[in-house]
Amino acid sequence: MEMLHCLNIPANVSGNGGPDMTVLERQRGRMKWQQEEQHQQALLQQQQQSLFDGNEVNLFSMQAQAQQFQEMMNNEPSLGELVTRAMKPDPGMENGWPDFGTIGEATGLGIGSCGFETGLDMNYAISRTTSCPPAVAADVAVADAEGTESILPEKPSSMVGRESFKKRKADKKTHQCSAISEDDSKEKRIKGCAEEGDSKITELKSNSSKNTTNNNGGTSGDTSKENSKVSDVQKPDYIHVRARRGQATDSHSLAERVRREKISERMKYLQNLVPGCNKITGKAGMLDEIINYVQSLQRQVEFLSMKLAAVNPRLEFNINNLFAKEMFPACTSNFPAIGLSSEMANPAYLQFNPLQQAVSSGLEMGINPSDVALRRTISAPLSIPETFIDSSCFNQIQSFSTWDAELQNLYGIELQGRSTPFPSQPFTGSIEAGNPKMEM
Amino acid sequence: MMTSRQHLTTNPSSIKTRFAYLFLRNLKRLNKYRPTSSSSRAVYQRYGMIKFAADASMASAVGSRRAWSRATLLKIRNRALNCTFLKRRRIHALRRRRAERKSRNPRQECAFGQANELRRLVPGGEVMDICNLLDETAHYIKCLNTQVQVMRNIVDFYSS
Repeated sequence: MEMLHCLNIPANVSGNGGPDMTVLERQRGRMKWQQEEQHQQALLQQQQQSLFDGNEVNLFSMQAQAQQFQEMMNNEPSLGELVTRAMKPDPGMENGWPDFGTIGEATGLGIGSCGFETGLDMNYAISRTTSCPPAVAADVAVADAEGTESILPEKPSSMVGRESFKKRKADKKTHQCSAISEDDSKEKRIKGCAEEGDSKITELKSNSSKNTTNNNGGTSGDTSKENSKVSDVQKPDYIHVRARRGQATDSHSLAERVRREKISERMKYLQNLVPGCNKITGKAGMLDEIINYVQSLQRQVEFLSMKLAAVNPRLEFNINNLFAKEMFPACTSNFPAIGLSSEMANPAYLQFNPLQQAVSSGLEMGINPSDVALRRTISAPLSIPETFIDSSCFNQIQSFSTWDAELQNLYGIELQGRSTPFPSQPFTGSIEAGNPKMEM
Repeated sequence: MMTSRQHLTTNPSSIKTRFAYLFLRNLKRLNKYRPTSSSSRAVYQRYGMIKFAADASMASAVGSRRAWSRATLLKIRNRALNCTFLKRRRIHALRRRRAERKSRNPRQECAFGQANELRRLVPGGEVMDICNLLDETAHYIKCLNTQVQVMRNIVDFYSS
């Protein structure tokens, strides 16, 4: 039974959406299917013969043949007649076609699914497909009976879509009902022969190949109604998605979980960044703390700019001097040079650097090692500019008069003169920088 | 995300130095154009301008890599261009609309309502979802830290 379902569903799938069919085209397609089915039976005879000869049938060659046939069919003038005939609103006929289509598909499917399997299966498949036509006939009869009684009152032109949908349902039922009786034993045998996964895969393959063949036929026939094609293509997707509905929600929840993980990761990162956030558990509290911290920092900036504004008159004088002489031309070129030279020349500075690192890493005792590493990489490069911002600010007053001389001999006397203020002042600066972390 | 963060960690030094440089330059310019006076009103005016300069130099030191700095830069540019009230209002309306549209989801999804408060604090945060908001907040905090450090150094230096 399971096997039956898994055969039935793809059959319906391809039957529904198989081709690129508009409402009208669908009927035409049914005609084609019917003919194709006949042709396939003819082909089957050939295949049977070839199989009995011992050759394994290549599915693709068969499909190619089917395709060729379909193209031939499309070129035939009689198709026009068929189409016009099919377009006439004949409920019984309409109802009959899908059955042909689905069953044709089913038989084709059987061929397809077995075509990929071993030769043993092949033999079986042939027997099955050859035994199918009576089933088709019976099915058609049943469907006709049911269709005439159920679909007669419906309007052909506007209701065709809905009608066909209903029909599809009816088809499923009838097909199942009729097919269960005949196919059940066979399906079980199939199950016995092939593993489920394999058969599913082959079904899928055969489905897709079916679709492609039908699409080819359809595109050569009519390409006017692309939209309906899309919708028709989507329909099987919908059915598939229906099956995957649980999966869809699952993926949704997966995405949600990923998002939550992301958020918590960022929260952790922020926790390390915001002092005093380590003890707090819970996102709400942490966010509160973060908000407070940001606000305090913004207020600090305001306060400092206020202070600068108050202090401005003196600042103006200093800055003007500072910038006019040194800062601008020398900023990019001199600072690294000075930093480098002082770093190389000052053993005290070299000592200071690890000290600062020790301070910064000492702050993060309770944090996991990766974050410590991260912070260390942040703090390690920070230590250099800090020193040179500080040193530039502090030392420039002290060594302001001798700045030019210093520029000329960087490695000379000036550095030794500077080595005394150097370790002390930047160190206090860094302590100062480290203090808020310690406090909060 | 990860790349930008790594990029950040590789050269925060440049952010700091760039901020110091830009801020000092802005201060200098500011002092050049504005004659200094010690009246409280002038001080307040200067305070506003210094604050503005600090924000601007911080944002331009970070560059346009970050959403918050981009938002700040946009604000500054709008202000610098002396754009009309109409345009600003339009932009505000647009941003508000976008914020409403975008923040509906996170607001529904995340139970913490403090996110909105955080959105108000972080520049450009109105239009972010919660993940980006936290990311930007982290970077913003870092930058504010450096800003505070540098400014404190400067204040200490000049007031001493």
